[in-house]
Parts: sequence; structure tokens; C-alpha cells
Amino acid sequence: MPAWARAGRRAGLCLALSWAAAAGAAEADPLAFLRQVQAAARTLDYAGVTVYQQGRMLQSTHLVHQVDGTGERERQEVLDGAPQECLRQNGMEQCLLPERRLIVERPAHSDHFPALLLGEGASIAKHYDWERLDRTYRVAGRECAISELRARDALRYSYRICTDLKNHLLLKAQTLDPQGRLVDQVAFSRVQFGTEIPPGALASRWNTRDWQLRTESSQPANLAARGWRFTPPPGFKPIAELTRQMGPGHAVDQMVLSDGLAAISIFIETFDPKRDQSIRQGGLRQGAINIYRMRLASYWLTAVGEVPAQTVHDLAHAVQYLPQAAH
Amino acid sequence: MNAKPDSALTERAWEASVSSWVDGEADIRSEELDTPYGRQIWDTYHLIGDVMRSPDLAIRPTDRFYARVSAALDAEPAIVAPSPLIRRHLVRNSLSGLAVAAAVASVVWMARPFFFAPDAPPSAAPVMAQAAETDATDPGLADYMAAHQSMAGAGAVRQVSYDGMGAR
Repeated sequence: MPAWARAGRRAGLCLALSWAAAAGAAEADPLAFLRQVQAAARTLDYAGVTVYQQGRMLQSTHLVHQVDGTGERERQEVLDGAPQECLRQNGMEQCLLPERRLIVERPAHSDHFPALLLGEGASIAKHYDWERLDRTYRVAGRECAISELRARDALRYSYRICTDLKNHLLLKAQTLDPQGRLVDQVAFSRVQFGTEIPPGALASRWNTRDWQLRTESSQPANLAARGWRFTPPPGFKPIAELTRQMGPGHAVDQMVLSDGLAAISIFIETFDPKRDQSIRQGGLRQGAINIYRMRLASYWLTAVGEVPAQTVHDLAHAVQYLPQAAH
Repeated sequence: MNAKPDSALTERAWEASVSSWVDGEADIRSEELDTPYGRQIWDTYHLIGDVMRSPDLAIRPTDRFYARVSAALDAEPAIVAPSPLIRRHLVRNSLSGLAVAAAVASVVWMARPFFFAPDAPPSAAPVMAQAAETDATDPGLADYMAAHQSMAGAGAVRQVSYDGMGAR
């Protein structure tokens, strides 16, 4: 046998082995499975309507995702209430607000449904048990595999998800509280893949000539250097720190923590008697999102996250401010 | 972030954390101690601990000192002093150095629950926080949700329309 043939066979064998290893790992390892789901959301061409139920709110969105020579492109058109459409490409997104004839341009920081992971998700296995149930379900006319990510403590929610049997795209996700009750859910009600997607699906139907363009920016911040100390709940790691404009003359610092699936933001701003006098301190909830607001010295803290009420409460109360450490 | 905060409360809360680091009850954040103030607090709390463990280290002050401490404790506002009656008893009747250390320490130990007690339940006895369901019609709140989801929108779809069917 010539040398090149032997080398080719060896390479083929290696490829086959690593393929089998990868497939086997995905069966047993939650992270490999989740990365497969994440990759499907990022690399497949899909279009459809998603329905999102959050608390008392129900919202449908038309979603188109395509990958071409320029990278990922996405169009998200909100179908209920005030029209809004967001186009995402190359880490930037433009949101069109037709009622105000306004285009808001900003960096696109994160994925959203049908993506699932925030960051690498390396510590997910430490805080969630993953189990694939031995039954399938049907969502948007597609067969899907059900699996559960069960939180190991009451600091975070559990998730029940259904992923497409053929291409692993996430078709439905349910958020469950520590008692196993449904707190919110999002699913495709209709989905098409690849060549089924009509041409021009990514094009906006709005003519934005003469619309105003506003660029939203945020600056990186270092909250520790300013004297802020946080005690993140176990498993939650800081993923971003920034200063953003909430409105004219209203600057807010934001620290984002994540355990790979759920995220919590803590907002810190100077207490403004004119603006903040009537704001109620304490907890509020909408679906899976819990909010906790409190005053600390002359600052307002607002903790917002897809976690149980106790978690945002404890996080907000553990925040400390050290004026002598601030430079 | 320009306003100078009313820092007394946060400073005392931080000192309480130093106390729990000294006791090994919490994960130490050593970088925070690397200031003259931090080092001083760290040393003081260790000294208190040392004196509590070995009475020999305590200096025996004069009776006039006890009288002054006693008077100062009486004069302390009731909200900070956990129980003036008990401590007066303690200071007057026990004359060993240990008792002095204990009296100083009791301010630290008793102050700690005072700082943390108002809302934060200890994790050992979970009292579940309750949160009222909101329609998030407060546009201010919607801004925070949108800002959160723009950074971490993995599970969620864009937060734009609230289901008031135009009743906003």
C-alpha cells in the first residue's frame, strides 16, 4: 500500500474515532449536549414564529436566522403591540421603532432563544443535573427530544427543553421554579429550515429613509475600583461590567453575573430625589424575571435576573460600598 | 457616581465582614485589606480574638477606667447598645481582663446581627422572599429589563410590548 493511502486511512480512522467520541460525549456530558444546541442556533438557517409567555404577557416574534459569507444575520420582528424590528449582523444590531421613526444602533452582546448558553457554560454541570427523558414531543410540527436541566439548589430555576431530533435546534424551553411549577416558556409555533425559507426573508419591510439614527453605546466600567463589593450567589461569575445611559443625564452602572444558563444584572446609580422618590423598594416579578430594588447610602441598587426572588434579594443585600477603597 | 455617600453604615457593614473573615466564617477578600485602614481593622480584630482566648494578654486597667467605660455605656444610645443593663452588670462585677475583652467583643458580636438582621435572612434558615407579580407597566422598570436582556438575553425574547393590549 502506498504511503499516502496509509496516511489517508489513518486520518480517516482518526476522524471516525473522534466523531464517535464526540457523539458519545454529547449523550453523557451536559455541556457537550448544550454546545451542540448552541451551535445549531448559531449555524443553521431557520425562520419561523416564536411565542413567548412571560407571566401575564404573551408575545409573538417573527424570527429569521441565516448564515452567509458575511457571517450570522438575523431579523427579529415583534408581531404584537407596538411594531419593532431588530436586524443583527456582525456583533451589531439595529432596531427599528417605526412609531417614532427611529433607528437605534447598538452592539449585540448576547444570544437569545433558540440559543441557550451564556458564555462557555463551563460550570453548568456543577449547578445543574442534566437528564434526557426517554420520550419525544412535537413542537411546531417537528419531533423533538425532551431533556431537563435541574437546578441543584434553590438559587436558580430549572429548565425543561425540547430539541429537534434531526438538527438539535432548541424548539421549546420552559422555566420551572424550585417547586417544579412553570414560570415562563418560549417555543416556536412554526419553523422552516434551509431552502424552505423564502428568499428575502431577512429584508425589512420598512423604508427607513429620513428616520433618525441613534447610537447607543456603553463604556466598560470597573466597579471594584470605585469601592463596590459583590458577593455573587454560588456558581455566578461576573461576565460584564459597564456604564450605560438609561436616558438623558441618567447614567447607570451595570454588573452582569451568569452561571452559564441564567443571568443577573445589578444596576447602581446615584439616588436622584426628583426621579427616585416614588420608587418602591423591594421585590417585583414578571414571569421568570425577578427584580429587587433598594437604597444603599446615596445609591439605588436594582437587581434583575431570571432567578428566584430570594436570589436577587440576597444579592442586593450583600452589596457593600467601601468609600475608602474608591479612587 | 459623583455624590459623596453617607458612608458610616456601609463602613460598619464592611468591618463586620472583616470580623467574619477573622473568624473564618466567610471567604476573605484580601485585596480589600491592603489599605492602612484595612490593615488596622484586621490587626484590631485579631487582637480582640487573641485577648479573648488568652486572658494573660489583657492589661488590667484601673478602677477609674471601669467607671468611665460603665458611664460611657450608660450614655450610649439604646439603638446601638444591645442591652445596657446586662453589660453594666458584666463590667462591674467581673474584674478580670477577660471581662473587659468580652465587653469590647460583645459590641462586635452583637453589632453584627444588628447590621445584617433587618432583611437578609441567614442562609441556614431560608425565609423565601416574596415578590409581587408586575405587569411592568412602569417604563423605568422596562428600561432595566431591556438593559439586562441586551446583555444576557439567552432564554428570553426581546422585551418590548407588554400585554396591556394598547392600554398602556
